Amino acid sequence: MIRMLHLHRWKILAVATLANLVLLANLAAGDPKGLEEIAWLDIAGEGGAALLAFLWLGLILNSRPSGRVTNYLVAGLTGIFIAYWQDVLDEVIRLPEAVVWDHWVESGAMPLGMVLLTLGIYHWQREQLAINEQLRRRERIFREHRSFDRLTNLTSAPYLRRQLAMELGEAGRAVTLMMLDVNRFDHVRRQLGSRDADRLLQELAELLLLNLRQDDLLCRYAGDRFAVVLPGTGEREATLLAGELIAAVDHFAFKTRQGETRLQRLDVGLATARGDEPDALIERANQDLEARREQPAPA
Amino acid sequence: MIEAGYELDDKFIGAHHQPVTLMDLVCDQGAEVDRLLRHTGLFYHEVAAGRALASPRQYLQLIHNARRLYPEPELSFLHGQRLFPGHYGAVSALLGNAPDLGLALAVFESAQSLISPLLTTRVARAGDYCCVQWLDACGAGDEYRFLVETMMAGLASVTRWLSGERLPWIFQFSYPRPAYPEQYRVHLGSDLHFDAHMDAMLLPAGYLDRPWPRASATARALALRDCENDLARLGFRTSFIQALYDYLRQRVREPVSLEQAASALGASPATLKRRLRRQGTHFQQLLDRARKHEALHLLQLHGYSNDQVARHLSFNDPTNFRRSFKRWTGLTPSACRRLLARTLDRPDPSARSDEGAC
Repeated sequence: MIRMLHLHRWKILAVATLANLVLLANLAAGDPKGLEEIAWLDIAGEGGAALLAFLWLGLILNSRPSGRVTNYLVAGLTGIFIAYWQDVLDEVIRLPEAVVWDHWVESGAMPLGMVLLTLGIYHWQREQLAINEQLRRRERIFREHRSFDRLTNLTSAPYLRRQLAMELGEAGRAVTLMMLDVNRFDHVRRQLGSRDADRLLQELAELLLLNLRQDDLLCRYAGDRFAVVLPGTGEREATLLAGELIAAVDHFAFKTRQGETRLQRLDVGLATARGDEPDALIERANQDLEARREQPAPA
Repeated sequence: MIEAGYELDDKFIGAHHQPVTLMDLVCDQGAEVDRLLRHTGLFYHEVAAGRALASPRQYLQLIHNARRLYPEPELSFLHGQRLFPGHYGAVSALLGNAPDLGLALAVFESAQSLISPLLTTRVARAGDYCCVQWLDACGAGDEYRFLVETMMAGLASVTRWLSGERLPWIFQFSYPRPAYPEQYRVHLGSDLHFDAHMDAMLLPAGYLDRPWPRASATARALALRDCENDLARLGFRTSFIQALYDYLRQRVREPVSLEQAASALGASPATLKRRLRRQGTHFQQLLDRARKHEALHLLQLHGYSNDQVARHLSFNDPTNFRRSFKRWTGLTPSACRRLLARTLDRPDPSARSDEGAC
């Protein structure tokens, strides 16, 4: 899937130009070797390495926005690619003994590229730590990029089950699972239309994140139902937190595309782990939510 | 006589009706409309102009493409929730103005080709329960489960909207628990039963004639007239397979042969065989399905004993019945009855007689 390549048009052009210049310089200075002189194994080895370096370059460019870290990574990989490229050309073009620049291209570009790549990876790691900090409350302990929900960018139910399995495995630690959903969301969706209803869920996700603690985890369970894992939290503390979330959503004035204000209420269910399996805990929290939903709201 | 019915390649579904609901949903998520319509034989400008008619096969291909472009398990449920009452002319007005659940279900049953062209609905009232069963209309193949999810979510959502309350449906599925039970839990409800041999929704029969708040009697009368005109123009209410199934189900007490069914259709046995093969089924399969569903209904809803069911289905001896039942469901009648009694939260009748013996 091509997503980010268009951001890096100039970088791609620069790499292509550089590779062409090296090729032209080789052709201008030397002569092609005869077929019997060519060591095919060397071509396969060095050509394969050049090809892989080029592929890494493409993957990096396609996954990253522009910026300092990207520039380091691209410069480093370009150096490595050019060094291998010269290596391959050496196998098919004979340069006169008097020419020395090809050794410079080969032996100079490689270490320079390595240094730049190292610098890039170092800054990449710093950047990743900053992103991890931003992702807190959206993921805990392990990362699985396939489990992000498309609409809210929260993790989804399979991630919740795996996460709970890990939390519940730690003996002696209280864990409470909270389930939340929008009261009568089915009606809300029919009245607002799908696009506004989807946006409502996205904004609710942000609002809930703002009201959670650093170690809590928010997942989108399914539809309009969210799950919050509250590690190290007993029932009383969880009830207080639930009250805070309900109050926050009560005061959230969502604006439709027409600019009208739409208020909603949250239904909440809680279940504190008592040695259950993840599925059983999720089931208890769901049942608690459904039981409380049936009761009329306090006046 | 067997009623006229449509087949997989008959073009009668307004492509700007239900198919467009799915197209909008998937395109809202960023899919390209050209890729969505690939291999369907539909063209966007014709669909948008409201001129294109799609066959069930084309609608199924669209669903296949939609699932590839938006491979999230919530797709079927979201699609279902957006379907009804919809803007499909008279039939939507008829459903939207239904004065109670019984008459809303009657729309699904009697105007099925207009409101649910890919799955048919059969409603049975038995004892204190009403059972809404969903059946494959014309050979859905791999998309069958998607359709069941869609239609169940659709019916649950529209009845909640029109009645103004959450109806306590019990959901029963012919297939095992899927890998994404949370979607069923949130979009359908908590009372879910998998591996239960039928795709059906059950509800206490008392809900059937509770008055609903939104209906207008005049609008409904007009819609009913227009809807009958639409159906007369189409020439069918249901699919060919469903019509044949209904015929077999009505005559479930007297085993019907392929030749008899063919002559009821006014066709030769060879023609009937060919028509069934075109839709991925055959006569024995339909006959077995009709008898299996009858047996399940009698066991679960009417509380028949195994022997009563065997007699009802004209089996000469109980062993024969047990063997056939096992072929249909993989279970003995008693094991199946226990399973289905659990669905309705009923004490198992055979267990009660055991207690009496103690």
